[in-house]
Amino acid sequence: MKILRGAIIALMVLAIVGPLVWVAMNSVKTNTELFGSPWSPPKVLAWDNFSRGWNEIGARSFVNSLIATVATLVFLLPIGAMAAYIFAKFPFPGRGTVYALFLGGMMFPNFLVAIPLVLLYRDLGLLNTMHGLVLAYVAYSLSFTIFVLTGFFQAIPEELREAAEIDGGSPSRTFWTVMFPLVRPGLVVVGIFNAIGLWNEYPLAMVLLSGENSTLPLGIASMAMAQNYRADWTGLFAATLIAMVPVLIVYLKFREQLQEAMVAGAVKG
Amino acid sequence: MAGVAFKKVSKVYGKDVLAVNDLNLEIKDGEFMVLVGPSGCGKTTALRMIAGLEEVTEGDILIGERRVNDVPPKDRDIAMVFQNYALYPHMNVYDNIAFGLRLRELKGFLWQLSHPGDAKRIKEDIDRRVREVAEMLGIEPYLMRKPKELSGGQRQRVALGRAIVRKPKVFLMDEPLSNLDAKLRIQTRAELIRLHRALGITTVYVTHDQVEAMTMGHRIAIMKDGVLQQCDQPEVVYRHPANRFVAGFIGSPPMNFIEAKITGGKVIGGELSFPLPAGHPGLLKEGESVTLGMRPEAIFDARLAGSVPVNPENTFRATIDVLEPLGHEYVAYLKVGDHPILATLDTATEVKVGDVADFVVRLEDLHLFDANTEAAIR
Repeated sequence: MKILRGAIIALMVLAIVGPLVWVAMNSVKTNTELFGSPWSPPKVLAWDNFSRGWNEIGARSFVNSLIATVATLVFLLPIGAMAAYIFAKFPFPGRGTVYALFLGGMMFPNFLVAIPLVLLYRDLGLLNTMHGLVLAYVAYSLSFTIFVLTGFFQAIPEELREAAEIDGGSPSRTFWTVMFPLVRPGLVVVGIFNAIGLWNEYPLAMVLLSGENSTLPLGIASMAMAQNYRADWTGLFAATLIAMVPVLIVYLKFREQLQEAMVAGAVKG
Repeated sequence: MAGVAFKKVSKVYGKDVLAVNDLNLEIKDGEFMVLVGPSGCGKTTALRMIAGLEEVTEGDILIGERRVNDVPPKDRDIAMVFQNYALYPHMNVYDNIAFGLRLRELKGFLWQLSHPGDAKRIKEDIDRRVREVAEMLGIEPYLMRKPKELSGGQRQRVALGRAIVRKPKVFLMDEPLSNLDAKLRIQTRAELIRLHRALGITTVYVTHDQVEAMTMGHRIAIMKDGVLQQCDQPEVVYRHPANRFVAGFIGSPPMNFIEAKITGGKVIGGELSFPLPAGHPGLLKEGESVTLGMRPEAIFDARLAGSVPVNPENTFRATIDVLEPLGHEYVAYLKVGDHPILATLDTATEVKVGDVADFVVRLEDLHLFDANTEAAIR
């Protein structure tokens, strides 16, 4: 039993770490070596793959991705938390329906609205702008954010709100000074999941941005398409690795809090 | 400082759950009032209505002279200690205590920037008051700790500190001792009494524990099913319970109740028969069914009766079924015929389980209740 469990875990680790290692390994090979022996470790370290990869995707798309992800989170987390707080703590007529509508958004593939969205954005003058992209990202990420945070707010004992109310807190002051800090584990969870999703987001960026304005996934995708005519696969591997690094850093930074939140999922006094 | 008054207050949850029914109660300025009753009796609802955490369905609540039905909790000048303390988990003890003061006295961030002198003075004042309270409650060493790093007793003190630092008009306490272990509870009980004496702030204290009620309250209000049963000083409630429910609820072990009849100037229930003193209103109920109430502590071993005279009129014979030694006394489960009777006996008693012995009752401590209305006949 123990051996079987170990084997299953080992297989899962291999499935997750394997591709990562493979990409890292191939990102420092030469193109000839890559095709000659794709599974063996590199003999010569070809670091210039990274400069080629970086130039190809462009610093601009890296920065754009960074802006899109960070700006989205800056708006998304407070807005999502405020909505989730209301859903969790304040019963009002039609609450269930409104909540269900929000959750319904999670089941709606975003490329289904791509065409109406493009038309709408064109009329509003938001097409091919970063703030337009951020707006769409915030809207699309709200369902998941509200869904997760509602659970966290529900776990906060009612007495804390009442205590703050008696202490003299207005509803907004109570929210920002007591409730918002208490769902920090939840904010970390939705923050990381959204960050990963947004960093890798392709379809919306694809239809809303064009030309100079591109994000990292767009840059890498166009690079991959270019491989039909050119053969710089190792440069592509290097670019992919560059794209992965920020996400890995964020994950490693918040790993403990993430695990804590997954296990506890509640705030205890 | 101010008193609190309930004037014909009712609270209905949903469509037809009546939690508090036509409550009339005046709590005097500076008084320690205990609301006591079994769970679901409406005591916590009543307290939460004073706090403004529950809306009043009908009637008025007054704090001082002011009707507060529509006043939000923060403007009622009250402080509340919750059963689970409700400390803010992400703030340390200092911030927990200072939180209310900061909310009330420090205006917004921009104001603080534009009035640095005033802001500094207020902050210093808050600091002084927080430290004063912390010293008073002996929690000064823990000011920088988070609530989760404190023991139950320490958390309890922080919750108290948060309440008293604001010097409110009224303290509301919702079973604040029920999460403490037995020893700490007794200790904290005494401290709360001392604290109340020192501060003299009107206090409304909710508990289901009749010992807490008896020991702490200037007056106690006993509630059942949303209805106030009796409100008086602890001794009065104990000696002259208004009805069978109060008689059974106050006192430990609880009062014995025996279905009886008034016949020929005597109250007779099963094998028990006691004369009613001259002028007792029970004499007017000749032939009627009543409930006879005897407190366990009004029953004595006939051989150790002490100041209680032993005569055939107040003596009955019983079998000792179970004897529980508590150290300072025995709790004896007696049987008179088929009827079980509880008695607390002096440890000097020589009775053993299975013995048949004589017991005497202090006749003036007998209680009679109407069999139908359950009201005391007195």
